[in-house]
Amino acid sequence: MSEYKPKLVCFSCKFSWGYLTDEETISSTTENWVPVICTGKIDATHMLDAFRSGADGVLILGCPEGDCHYQDGNYEAKKRVHLIRRLLESVGIEGERIRIELSLDPEGTRIPDLVEEMRNELARLGPPKSILAAEEAPQETARARGGK
Amino acid sequence: MWKTEAKGVAHVETAVRQCLPPCQIKCPINEDIQRTNVLISLLPRDADSAREGTLDIGDYLYEKNPFFNICGYICGICELECNYLKKGGAIRRRLLKRFLSDAYTDHLAELKGFQAVKNGEKVAVVGGGPGGLMCAYHLGKRGYEVTVIEAFDRLGGALWLVPDYRLPKDLLQLTLDTLVRVAGIEVRYNSRVGTEELPLEHLKNQGYKAVFLATGLPAPRVLTFERQVLEGQDLAGVMYGHTYLYEVSHNNIALDYFRGKKVIVTGGGNVAFDVARSARRHGAEVTVVSLEREDKDHRDGIPADEEEVRGAWEEGIRILYSRGVRKIIGENGQFKGINCPLCVSVFDEEGFNPRFDCEDCVDLEGDVLIITVGQSPDVSLLQKEGLLDEHGRFDIDHLTLQITNKPWVFVGGDVRRVGFMVEAMGEGLMAAESIDRYLSGVDMREGRRRDYEGYQIPMRRDYKREPEVPWMPPEDRMHFRMFEQGFTLDEAIEEARRCVTCGPCLSCKACVSIGFQKSLSPVEVDTARCSGCGHCVYACNYYSAHLITSGGKITSETDMFRCKSCGMCVVACPSEARRMVDDDTAERIGSVYTSLA
Repeated sequence: MSEYKPKLVCFSCKFSWGYLTDEETISSTTENWVPVICTGKIDATHMLDAFRSGADGVLILGCPEGDCHYQDGNYEAKKRVHLIRRLLESVGIEGERIRIELSLDPEGTRIPDLVEEMRNELARLGPPKSILAAEEAPQETARARGGK
Repeated sequence: MWKTEAKGVAHVETAVRQCLPPCQIKCPINEDIQRTNVLISLLPRDADSAREGTLDIGDYLYEKNPFFNICGYICGICELECNYLKKGGAIRRRLLKRFLSDAYTDHLAELKGFQAVKNGEKVAVVGGGPGGLMCAYHLGKRGYEVTVIEAFDRLGGALWLVPDYRLPKDLLQLTLDTLVRVAGIEVRYNSRVGTEELPLEHLKNQGYKAVFLATGLPAPRVLTFERQVLEGQDLAGVMYGHTYLYEVSHNNIALDYFRGKKVIVTGGGNVAFDVARSARRHGAEVTVVSLEREDKDHRDGIPADEEEVRGAWEEGIRILYSRGVRKIIGENGQFKGINCPLCVSVFDEEGFNPRFDCEDCVDLEGDVLIITVGQSPDVSLLQKEGLLDEHGRFDIDHLTLQITNKPWVFVGGDVRRVGFMVEAMGEGLMAAESIDRYLSGVDMREGRRRDYEGYQIPMRRDYKREPEVPWMPPEDRMHFRMFEQGFTLDEAIEEARRCVTCGPCLSCKACVSIGFQKSLSPVEVDTARCSGCGHCVYACNYYSAHLITSGGKITSETDMFRCKSCGMCVVACPSEARRMVDDDTAERIGSVYTSLA
């Protein structure tokens, strides 16, 4: 168990996180980091696909409340994370495996810290139940979609 | 190429549809407000790191507007149309620009002159105010040899009449000097066009192929009542606001000049308030008598800016609204007071046509009367040069500013229509384009008419209140130094972040220039997949996605002029009918996911 290293995908909004630092620098310290133009653009299927592809957790870093360049993409993402958590829990996967943080960090110095922090939590949780196995179960799993 | 004939046939050009944020439509030079707001919002938070970016934004603005650092002090008409106005207060664009200005001022001396190849054509600009200089700057940029012919010993025109507490004189001087240097303009001071020595036609003989006449409004308008010039304007103690401000600008008036005096200022415009607040600083007890009403939203509302009225009120200036002047009372050649009837209406369908109720009159005593009811052009010059028609108006094409019977003469700025500084600048810009077209033999009007389309405020949950801008308390600001504090870097970033960027992406592209996006990806709808459910309409905050019926089927569509390429409609679509063309986000996510395995 001590060998278990959780894999984490981190999405971050370009308008609030790390825009003053070039992407290579952040990528070099943060594995599996995907900067996006707006967290509202992260589809629910993107979130679920992370788990399907073998991620142990997803971290989303969005703009502070009331600061979204596209008006309310951060709220949309927050809502979507909430729904995905419920969905994961319904198939027996811990909801804490997906997290959203709405804040501002132009230099992006907190990105590796937040990733590390979440990775430690995931290590404590241990490997997740396979989402693929859960999906193969006969019951209908509604396709989680965003929308207001 | 050299065109001498105006087109004989009058025709109406089709207007070009141009979508802009409302602030940029309001701005007569359509400054890139949204774009530069976004760029400010992304500046680093520490002053040293922010410096380079701030200067870059300044360079960008300077390219079009060599007066931008002055606008940051005295303009801000864009704020009047800001969509945020009714949601918590307009974005304080003027102060954002003042912030840029304060960082940029030291940089002005380092600006390099235009490298444009001179095309050998000479153009004369008559009048060195904001309109004339704007025209000269843009012609200089295009390679013309421009001479500015200025009647006085300094450039800047009416800008000098703005008191120091609103616009520091050293900043103004530096701005003017820089403009002349950068644009490579020749200036002839103390020479008046239209005099015996220098009639307009002489300029032609001197080799100038075109002339832009921007002589402004150098003469004060006299006080009238029911279309009759009021007697008593020659009494001792009666003066014109323009004259007073001129003397103030030359530091000819001691700070206690009006101490113990009662000064009455007639007028309700910004200039009247400049006069009143200057007189207050010179020690006077001041009353402003304004024809207009207090309610600015009313047709007859006071034209002065709200900040001016508030400032004056704070400084203890009494404002009498809806009062005219029927009589100037004098005694032994000395001014004693005025008789003020109630003004019941200022404008009617015809325009300015004040009506009074003379039953309701008040007498106002005073030692000094400063008349500030507007300015007039030098009509004799215009008449002598044959620029006016039989109604005393310019016979001019309002789209090109070209005089009909003198196609080599263009007229603009206050002399054509009184307005704000930036309106004169706008006309200078128009004239530069016209003169360039005229001298290159290009169609004068084609593609110049614009049908502007504004944008409403996007759907949003949170609105933030406008920031408090600290002013020195009234008792501490009885001097001519600035009393308004500009934004700090943090405050500027916060305010720029507040801008909801309601305008289109096409005129902004700030995200592309800073590398957030490679391009603006258009949204494409696969009509075969689209079920017309309307989720996208609901998801779009910009009223861009909408439903249409075609061939009996309801499908969705996206108005590309309004679309912001945020991708929220794509995410909201339950049938994967929407996608963003040339957007690599999904691929990027895909490659990360592949690496997880």
